[in-house]
Amino acid sequence: MKLAVIGVGNAGSRITNQILDFEQSTGRNFCNGNTLLINSTPPEFDAPEHVPEERRLTIGDVYWDADGSDIDGDPDLAAEIAREEKNDIIRAFDLIEFHEIDGILVAAGLGRGTGGGAGAVVIDQLKEICDDPIYAVGVLPSDAEGEQPALTAARTLQSYVAKADNVIAFDNDEWQDADSASVGRLDDSAGEDERDDTTEDDHDVDVESVGSGFENTNVALAERLVTLFAAGEFRNSTVSENRMDPSDIIRTLDTGGISSIGFASSDLKQAGGVRSWVRSMSTRFSWMPDPDWAYETETDDDDAATDAAKINRLVREAAQSKLTLPCEISSADRALVVLTGPSRTLSRKGFEGGRYWLEREADIVEVMAGDEPNEKSSSLTTVILFSNVTDVDRIEEIQQTALDHQESLRTDGAKLGTADSQ
Amino acid sequence: MKLGVIGVGNAGSKIVDKMVEFESLTNRKLCRHVMVINTARTDLTKPDHIPEDRRILIGDTHQKAKGHGVGGDVDVGAEVAKNDMDEIRRAFDDVDIHEVDAILVCASLGGGTGSGAGPVVINELQKMYDEPVYGLGVLPGKYEGGRPALNAARSLQSFVNNTDNFIAFDNDAWRSKDQTVGEGYEGMNRELATRIVTLLGAGEYDEPTIAENAMDSSDIIRTLDTDGISSIGYASTSVDNSDGFMKRFREDHEIEDSSNSAAKINGLVRRAVNSRLTLPCEPSSADRALIVLSGPPSELSRKGLESAREWIENEVDTVEVLAGDDPRENANALSAVVLLSNVTQTPRIEAIQEQAVAAQEKIAEQEAVREEEIADLITDKDGKIDPVI
Repeated sequence: MKLAVIGVGNAGSRITNQILDFEQSTGRNFCNGNTLLINSTPPEFDAPEHVPEERRLTIGDVYWDADGSDIDGDPDLAAEIAREEKNDIIRAFDLIEFHEIDGILVAAGLGRGTGGGAGAVVIDQLKEICDDPIYAVGVLPSDAEGEQPALTAARTLQSYVAKADNVIAFDNDEWQDADSASVGRLDDSAGEDERDDTTEDDHDVDVESVGSGFENTNVALAERLVTLFAAGEFRNSTVSENRMDPSDIIRTLDTGGISSIGFASSDLKQAGGVRSWVRSMSTRFSWMPDPDWAYETETDDDDAATDAAKINRLVREAAQSKLTLPCEISSADRALVVLTGPSRTLSRKGFEGGRYWLEREADIVEVMAGDEPNEKSSSLTTVILFSNVTDVDRIEEIQQTALDHQESLRTDGAKLGTADSQ
Repeated sequence: MKLGVIGVGNAGSKIVDKMVEFESLTNRKLCRHVMVINTARTDLTKPDHIPEDRRILIGDTHQKAKGHGVGGDVDVGAEVAKNDMDEIRRAFDDVDIHEVDAILVCASLGGGTGSGAGPVVINELQKMYDEPVYGLGVLPGKYEGGRPALNAARSLQSFVNNTDNFIAFDNDAWRSKDQTVGEGYEGMNRELATRIVTLLGAGEYDEPTIAENAMDSSDIIRTLDTDGISSIGYASTSVDNSDGFMKRFREDHEIEDSSNSAAKINGLVRRAVNSRLTLPCEPSSADRALIVLSGPPSELSRKGLESAREWIENEVDTVEVLAGDDPRENANALSAVVLLSNVTQTPRIEAIQEQAVAAQEKIAEQEAVREEEIADLITDKDGKIDPVI
């Protein structure tokens, strides 16, 4: 599926950048440079190295220049700015080749002002000019980020779900608990004052030297999104037997609501020595010849018998893995399973068995499935999209935090005798 | 029989492709006109034996299809075909109908394009031509899930109602464990193509034949003229078609099964009926049957065919059993194909219907509460939190 990727706010820009990075490093080709970053923070964008300068739009500079204050954190102000600067935003949309794409992905942090407020308006503006589906990737704030982001997220989530065709959610709380301990810094919670210190680091970090918490989580998110949406969009792909058509992805997401992604990957036994060296070199340098023999693996008779079991197990692992948004998978409306790996390992029985298991286990009638043969892959990967999950404890938690915070703001506001910004 | 063959959707196109491959490998002349119709542009690049100009893309202007498939939605598949009927009709114009005895439409019933657009195409063909229109449909396996089962249960009705006969192929019966996703369908499509081409291609030669029992296309049409669902059995044994020392040498060792061609033929036909049928069914529920025996003329025996015919008459319990030879000078195998026409006891179809009913109920349930559940999820209980826009 060909997508334009638009990042709004800092978190959205980082995710967009990471998606482009992963797209390049895996030899896929699904957004054809159709990207755009929209942010309220001049003059520097956070980690935009894969997005050319002219595709980075700054909105709200007037406000910023005027009083030095920061609009980030106030979704109402950000939304207002996005509406006021509609002409600039629409002009930036011209950079996207709409006839080349099957849909648009808008990535943003829902707990922040720009991502949440301006992002919702951007989706609205895109809908006016584009008939293709518009999906959002929304990052939910972690508890450690505080109460205001929770309130912002509880409010912007409603607008996102109402405006976008589907919102794929990513829960920072679930994903950063594990990573943040070693880093001491949280993805979207990095305060504006910290920005200058961290921006440089961000540029240096790449996939190979995953060092920081938010890079880790963004890599995980990008890997899932690209494997899901870019299925079949390899530059030199062999036509798959059971290719995932964009229509299959669109149909799965057609439910609206909020979705979550599961993922599992397993390494294949590889030929060592010269082969793996040639492989690694040609992956790194596109000009290197890429001989097929470098990808042959040693097969023994057991392989065929175990492939089915391996793939069946991989589908189960993906369903039970840490989802981008932890949820009760049986509350999902539809699901989509994408299997990627060298074609000789894609056992039909294993795949059908895994798919059928998912249909029974999660009680989902519509489980679409597609394979993406990739001879150059050294692993088997399964991605599962659970569309329209409705049993999500985390969202209730955020709403509760938001309610409490809203109450306390009102009380404080009354005490101080000032107008309530909400 | 001279056939116009149309593949609709991905599976249908690949079956047609395999049929053309098999007939050219075995020097048969069955498919006089070939065409594939699909909603996915990429799938139309797959056939190896279908000329570019015989590949029709439909639905590229449809908002939900746009040239990349219909997402397994049978209703979209049907809608797309109706919208683009002019284009399909224009492609039919190239078919010289006087050259064909019948038209065969191949499709999978579990997906969206074949199951939805297939019946629309068949309807149009029935309106345009007097020749019989047959369907060849692949039934989805149990493990393909509820949605394909629902598609198939709905599409099957349209196929059977609108065709003169519907030949079914059950994916479940042909599943085997060590296939990769790609190989699996390829092997199954080859098996299906072998059966259908051997059956329908009987009696088509470059030169007139003198075989006295030669199969005639009117016999095939008569057997299929039951309006129901049919299944095909097949068995084959290799024969040495070479002369000289090797042949004599081999005969010594195969005395038991080749000494008497009549017995061999009788055995082969029994094996075909008891083999894995394209649609597992109770053979005795069939209305009519047809036997085609294909192989080198020296192996064909009138007596064998007659005794096989009698055996089937008893086995299937019908008086309408036609039998014919299909002499192939250079064939290196002797094959028997048995067509069981209008079989009515097919457990697989019942199972698909049950699965479909369950799926349909679940889908309706989900659609009824979808909006409400989303609203519940994104708002707090008392509705105190407002959306930002």
